Amino acid sequence: MDLGGGAEPGPGLTREALERFLTAAEPGRHPSVTALRPITGGYSRLSAIADVRWDDGATERLVLRGDPAPGEGVFVSDRDAEWELVRALARSGGPAVPTPRWYDATGEHFGTKCIVVDHVAGRTLQDVLRSAEDTPAAARSFVDTVAGIHATPLDGLPAAMRPPPSWDDHVDGVLDSYRRIDREIADSSPVLRYVAARLGRHRPPPVPFTLVHGDCQPSNVLVRETGEHVVIDWEFARIGDPREDLGYYTQIPMPPNVYSDDPQAFLARYRERTGLTEEQVNPATVEYFLVIGMARLLVQILQALDAVSRGESRGVLATYLVNAVTHQYRLYLDACRRLGGAYPEGAP
Amino acid sequence: MIGRPTTEQVLLDCCRVLADDVLPAVADETTRVRLAMLDKVLRNAAVRAAHEIAWMREEVAAIRSYAQAAAAATGDDDLRAALDAPAGEGESLHLSDVVDGYCRAGDLLSASLEAALDADRADLVARGESLLRERLAHESAVVGGWNSAGR
Repeated sequence: MDLGGGAEPGPGLTREALERFLTAAEPGRHPSVTALRPITGGYSRLSAIADVRWDDGATERLVLRGDPAPGEGVFVSDRDAEWELVRALARSGGPAVPTPRWYDATGEHFGTKCIVVDHVAGRTLQDVLRSAEDTPAAARSFVDTVAGIHATPLDGLPAAMRPPPSWDDHVDGVLDSYRRIDREIADSSPVLRYVAARLGRHRPPPVPFTLVHGDCQPSNVLVRETGEHVVIDWEFARIGDPREDLGYYTQIPMPPNVYSDDPQAFLARYRERTGLTEEQVNPATVEYFLVIGMARLLVQILQALDAVSRGESRGVLATYLVNAVTHQYRLYLDACRRLGGAYPEGAP
Repeated sequence: MIGRPTTEQVLLDCCRVLADDVLPAVADETTRVRLAMLDKVLRNAAVRAAHEIAWMREEVAAIRSYAQAAAAATGDDDLRAALDAPAGEGESLHLSDVVDGYCRAGDLLSASLEAALDADRADLVARGESLLRERLAHESAVVGGWNSAGR
């Protein structure tokens, strides 16, 4: 999730700051930043595209990705962790990612921790889907990319990314996060208490942990002219149940949503690519993991709204996202309504 | 005080000014997205201003009735204690007082549903779920849909 921050992408993401940073990162190459513009359309990080000319005549296009100022914005994630993960993925031969180049780990140059990666020329897969003549083929390519993320060997990931102790612990921990946020904030969230109670009683069959992207949607897949998919925005990545990504995607409102368009085809392809069974991956389990996969972001939205209720400002995004909360609650209740038939009380 | 235009009408007029007068003069894409968000937030606020006190009072009454039924059917001591505690809503229609009562009722609804689930009372669970749906119907009337501005 990138959040464009205005005419300037952020207080520190400026041409001058990038030039100083690159001068320090590449001594003797004398960079000149010829253009820098913010990237709009996302809801979390500050980001920008920059064109650089080096003194040997070489040019390149870079993407900068930094944090909003402390206390601003809604979503919180760790740039150090994202940088380490992107570097690990770039080495792993797993899902293609933008080539990581440099990192201002202290914020010394940009006033915020800032990741710099190579720009990927291409369109987002969401754009491709929007204009595709053969939508099912493009949809299959998205499923294949998601399955590819979930096939990433865990032993190549940063040491800080550890799997939860057990699958049940993982699900219990997420459901507890819903109960905890209901206790912590001034507002009351009976939908969350109810959903936590229902999902705790009706558990789908477990599957092995995988790398989970955490913001899994075609807008976060760039399609090169060669057709290669490059996955971006790893800030919410973690090790978890792969169905979290599937569930998360179901609630993305931008059309087309290729899961909603044909859930059976989507899931059949995913099962084919991952070897998981229909008992493990079906519309009911995906609906269950919508609730699990959305937890982290929904909790952060509720925390931001609580801050607003205490008189703090988090920008218009926080109050705007009230709309998303209502959308999620409706989906959560729909998931509960179908739970009873899907998982008899007391089933594992 | 001035009753008309109502708060709802004032806020909707602000939306019109934003859309007709301000937005066309703004070229920066990020600022345009923020204006779209602001328009939505103001429209949400207009609906709330028009209805929220009435809706919350209606829901509180229905929730207390449900909680009494759940407490009687399940014998849940915590639920009974929560019901016996002073509700504190009073007759005040000041928004902060109404919201305080609404939040307490929300907690009561959560406790009632959990008691109903623990007691395996499908009828009470269904009744509680219908109250959640009523709550969501009001929320949906406020927000009118979700479409991710700027994406």
